Amino acid sequence: MSAPTLATLQTAFHDHLLDRPSAIADDVAAGGRIDVAHRLHIYHHAYRARLLDNLRDAFEKTWAYLGDEAFDDAALAFIEANPPVHRNLRWHGAGFPHALAARFQQDPDIAELAMIDWQLRHAFDGPDAVPLAPAALAELDATHWESVGFRFVPTLFLAPLHFNTLTIWHAIDQDQTPPPAARLPDAAWLLIWRKDWQPHFRTLDSVEHAALSQLHAGASFAQVCASLAEQRSEEEATALAAGYLGSWLQDGLIAGFSGLVAA
Amino acid sequence: MMHATAPIRKPSPGFGLGLRPVHYPDFLREPQAVDWLEIISDNYLVPGGKPLAMLDAVLEHYPVAMHGVSLSIGSTDGLDRQYLADLKKLAQRAQPLWISDHLCWTGVAGRNAHDLLPLPYSEEALRLVVRHVGEVQDTLGQRILLENVSSYLEYRSSDMSEWEFLRRVTEEADCLLLLDVNNIYVSSINHGFDASAFLRHLPAHRVQQIHLAGHSDHGDYIVDTHDHPVAEPVWALYREACLLFGEVATMIERDDHIPELAELIAELDRARAISAEVLESCEAAA
Repeated sequence: MSAPTLATLQTAFHDHLLDRPSAIADDVAAGGRIDVAHRLHIYHHAYRARLLDNLRDAFEKTWAYLGDEAFDDAALAFIEANPPVHRNLRWHGAGFPHALAARFQQDPDIAELAMIDWQLRHAFDGPDAVPLAPAALAELDATHWESVGFRFVPTLFLAPLHFNTLTIWHAIDQDQTPPPAARLPDAAWLLIWRKDWQPHFRTLDSVEHAALSQLHAGASFAQVCASLAEQRSEEEATALAAGYLGSWLQDGLIAGFSGLVAA
Repeated sequence: MMHATAPIRKPSPGFGLGLRPVHYPDFLREPQAVDWLEIISDNYLVPGGKPLAMLDAVLEHYPVAMHGVSLSIGSTDGLDRQYLADLKKLAQRAQPLWISDHLCWTGVAGRNAHDLLPLPYSEEALRLVVRHVGEVQDTLGQRILLENVSSYLEYRSSDMSEWEFLRRVTEEADCLLLLDVNNIYVSSINHGFDASAFLRHLPAHRVQQIHLAGHSDHGDYIVDTHDHPVAEPVWALYREACLLFGEVATMIERDDHIPELAELIAELDRARAISAEVLESCEAAA
């Protein structure tokens, strides 16, 4: 038998890892204390064990919520269907929340919790930014306030929340039994970002979410105030917007001004 | 052409440990009895946040070597240019003692197994690796170190021994060797070769660094798990390596069941003691 080319050998080996038909056993030397099938099994097993460990690590709360058996079944199914293609193992779980949504269609809270796990991990080593100090607002004069907008830190992430997954997350975090999953009575939004070296999260109601989204999309602060004034008096709208802006600054969500015309 | 006889390997910076996040506070709180640290490069190829901030802080106190797991130098897919560019950027930040990865392949056809898979020791694999090392060294502007991996199978298509393959790769590609003494031991048990003979056949002047680590003994075979202290036969092999290669930068890797830093430093002290003892006996004999 002639030796396979290196490309053929590597493809056959990788196919073996992926549980696909493979002739790799023909090229493995026999002999020693363990047979060829056992030698190949060590790699087959290690491949799944490493990827499973990585998913357990990245989806720690989801793992605790589902328990070992259900989590491992879901994770191993994901691993079979999604061989890693990224150079860095860190990215392998990107599609896992989506896979959980398809697997647990009757329990969408599971995918929502996984989305939180993933986005917190994402914020952990996302791009750096220096937050704007609240005192920086003092630099703005009345003309500036007509056009000023704000740039947010690059780790900012917004998504709708449909379930009490944050309560579930906190319970698991404190080693308590999580409450039963329940649909939220009102629409809420999840906000995730990193402050210093720690990912943070909280919920937003629909009014704050609309204001933040509008500003994040590039609107000026004056436009945000005008939008808020559609539902309330101008005075109330300005007070509300100022309150939001103050808390966003305090939380380290804002990285700088935008829309200022150079003097 | 005649070459000046400048040594290929750099002087040893001493005894080091793998930097693991659980030990960040220890290294940043007070000086530790560790001469240098080895980082897993891939863990710092991220946009920002705590990993890079911790790396910057550690760099103020310790020299760092970069050790990667995803170069896949032996893959027929060829090198990943983006990965190389990212590695170069990290090297500009860390100014490492040196940059290393493994003599293996990690995937093919655009897929990544995230495992250090063995190469056949063939002329074809040798030519591929030598070409890739040349490309990597040209990009990074320095000699890299390649590490011998532990393996659980051998190929029928190999036509030379692992040590012959290692020797030829390092010499023909003009790169350096990161000798993992535990991996030699693990593979020697799994394949039934003489670990001492393996050591004796290596090009001593290219051994830049030594890895020590623990493994899991399954009776009929051994798995390189990095979750135990260094085993006695590996210490014995390390002593032989010291005798053959002289003063070589040595570090201990622990990736699972990571103990308190003090425990790893005590283990590192044993490496220091063995190395000092061997060097003393060599000097006395000279």
